Amino acid sequence: MIEVTNVVKRYGPATVLNGATFQIAEAQLTTILGPSGCGKSTMLRCLNRLERFDAGQIRIADVAVQGGDAGLTPADEDALVHEVRLRVGLVFQNFNLFPHLTTLGNVIEAPMTVKKLPRAKAEEVGRHYLNRVGLSGKEHHYPAQLSGGQQQRVAIARALAMEPAVVLFDEPTSALDPKLVREVGTLLRTLDDLKKTLVVVSHDMDFARAISDQVIYFEGGRAVESGTASAVFGSPSQPETRAFMESFHGGRTEVRS
Amino acid sequence: MITRWPERKRGLRCAVLALMLAAMVGQPASAQTALERVRTSGQLRVGIDATYPPFGSVEGGEFSGFDVDIAGAIARQLRVQAVLVNASFDGVFPALQNGTFDVVISAVTITPERSATMLFSEPYINAGQALAVRTDSAIAGVESVTGKTVGVQINTTAQFAMEKIAGVTIAKYNTIDLALLDLQNGRVDAVASDGPVLRYMARLSFPGVKTVGREYTNEAFGVVLARGSDDLRRAVNAALFQIQDSGEYAKIYATWFGEASQSQAAAAAAPALFDTGLIARTWMVFIRGVGLTALIAASSLLLGLPLGLALALARVQPRRLLSTPAAIYVEVMRGTPLLVQILFIYFVLPSFGVNLPAFTSGIVALTLNAAAYVSEIFRAGIVSIEAGQMEAARALGMNYWQAMRRIILPQTFRRVVPPLTNEGIALLKDSSLVSVIGLTELARTGQELASRYAAPLTIWPLVAVLYLALTFPLTRVAQYLERKWRPVTRS
Repeated sequence: MIEVTNVVKRYGPATVLNGATFQIAEAQLTTILGPSGCGKSTMLRCLNRLERFDAGQIRIADVAVQGGDAGLTPADEDALVHEVRLRVGLVFQNFNLFPHLTTLGNVIEAPMTVKKLPRAKAEEVGRHYLNRVGLSGKEHHYPAQLSGGQQQRVAIARALAMEPAVVLFDEPTSALDPKLVREVGTLLRTLDDLKKTLVVVSHDMDFARAISDQVIYFEGGRAVESGTASAVFGSPSQPETRAFMESFHGGRTEVRS
Repeated sequence: MITRWPERKRGLRCAVLALMLAAMVGQPASAQTALERVRTSGQLRVGIDATYPPFGSVEGGEFSGFDVDIAGAIARQLRVQAVLVNASFDGVFPALQNGTFDVVISAVTITPERSATMLFSEPYINAGQALAVRTDSAIAGVESVTGKTVGVQINTTAQFAMEKIAGVTIAKYNTIDLALLDLQNGRVDAVASDGPVLRYMARLSFPGVKTVGREYTNEAFGVVLARGSDDLRRAVNAALFQIQDSGEYAKIYATWFGEASQSQAAAAAAPALFDTGLIARTWMVFIRGVGLTALIAASSLLLGLPLGLALALARVQPRRLLSTPAAIYVEVMRGTPLLVQILFIYFVLPSFGVNLPAFTSGIVALTLNAAAYVSEIFRAGIVSIEAGQMEAARALGMNYWQAMRRIILPQTFRRVVPPLTNEGIALLKDSSLVSVIGLTELARTGQELASRYAAPLTIWPLVAVLYLALTFPLTRVAQYLERKWRPVTRS
């Protein structure tokens, strides 16, 4: 269970998150959907503490994080952040693979340095997850030798290898062509048996509809509406949600998986 | 008469001297007088810039020349051993003043300016300036140089004398053999310098050059002592008197300036453009110079790399307590001349109880200096790594230093190999500056041999080739690392 309560985030005079409040259920695939600039990516970065926020509270994977200056010592803050990151993985929009390491090296680096797994054990875990994302046989390739879709799969395996309870995906379709969009949607659904809480940030309504259990519609720095995918897409209750869906379908770019 | 004035790079020298004087004020007065120190140790330490035949030259640690023989004779009179210490003329007076030498015997003209800060013995030789010209020249003496170009050694009394003659264009050279080379090549019409030196050089290896006219100045060389060495000065004066009385002085004079010396020099003359025989005779000396340069440069680079990396890491991390001192260090070390840093460490630190030998001082100075430049190379490399790399590492749970060590630095190293190679080569060549504290590395070896044999055309190309050869191992290592770390691209 992820609980976000009245989270506020400002960059100078701009308020990016403006009292965001929502819940995300465990072991479900939830999409935070919204137009560009609505604050959804910032929200995601706050969830694993890559960004600090100014007010409010986030409870994620049994760790509570307060906004603003919560009076923590730097050591306490470091310990808290470490707790969050051990339990929350993140797949970046542009993947941020480590170019000097092979596919397997990318995946086993954090288990070895952070969890102190011996190399053999880390490689076993790494190969397992590379296999899960369909990259068996690519262990010794470098990122630059892989296609965009393959690179994304490495990034997903890298996050999964830390065995987090929650995995966050920042705009997983934005760097991919339409065919690959369908593939990544399929891949995300094949992770169901891992029983992880998956949170996807996307502006792509069709993608969200195709993959999501739950949808949160985000606009103006806050969650406008949330519910099951069929409820939000079938009968949106808020005018902002309806307007977004109508504008999206003006282009007819529907892609089904 | 040549007088290599210490006013070269005047501002710099003044600053260093001021530092040294300030340091000396705090020094406790020695319990021993200068003469007592010489007597107890049994050694007279003589500073000499041995690039100036026939007064002083050196080859493979073997000193020879008029000043060298005078030093030996004085020491015998004092019943002690003369220990000659070769130092560039830049460093010889500060070293005298901080007690590294007891005396300087190095063709030093007695002048009022020097007498204000140091002591002189009675004059031990008089000599005058002369003019050298090409054998086909119409110039007959100093009277006919108006409207001509005259080459001099920089900041010598020869330069000052020429400045007083209206209508003379002056060309300044670091050493007299280079001035004579340009005379031979026709770029200057005459060269002004000490008569004995010009005659010696012209005979030895400038066959198209002759000396003309009378010696037009009369100056006196003296033994130089630090202030406070009054009893040693009296003893040196007495010794000079005795060697003159005993006829020893006349013999020494004849050896270096008499008829016999002239025919000997003529016999030794080897006016070949590139004298392979000279290289065959001196290669052992060069090997020693190459070895010292390689040792100093390699040690400084190997020590400077980790220090520079530490400074770069201190600067990019967020805590001011670490980053500010590192930034100040880099500013100071980059903003002050390496020469001053070398002089400071060798001559000034002893006053604060840190007394490092010349070799260590040279390596410390080069290391501290190189670290500043290396740190900027590393810092540029680190900040050039995309911010997403650090974020990805942190998002996976690595702390800052784990991310730095495992993700950022390995990528940084790949990027900084070319600029670090540059820095290594620059360091190799900058290492020649340690000659100022008496280390006979490759460039100094070249200077000594070029003037001793008056063979700049043989020696300097060889020095250049040897420096080039020294850079090869460095560029080979860089090539190897670049190949090994070649960024993996789509194959």
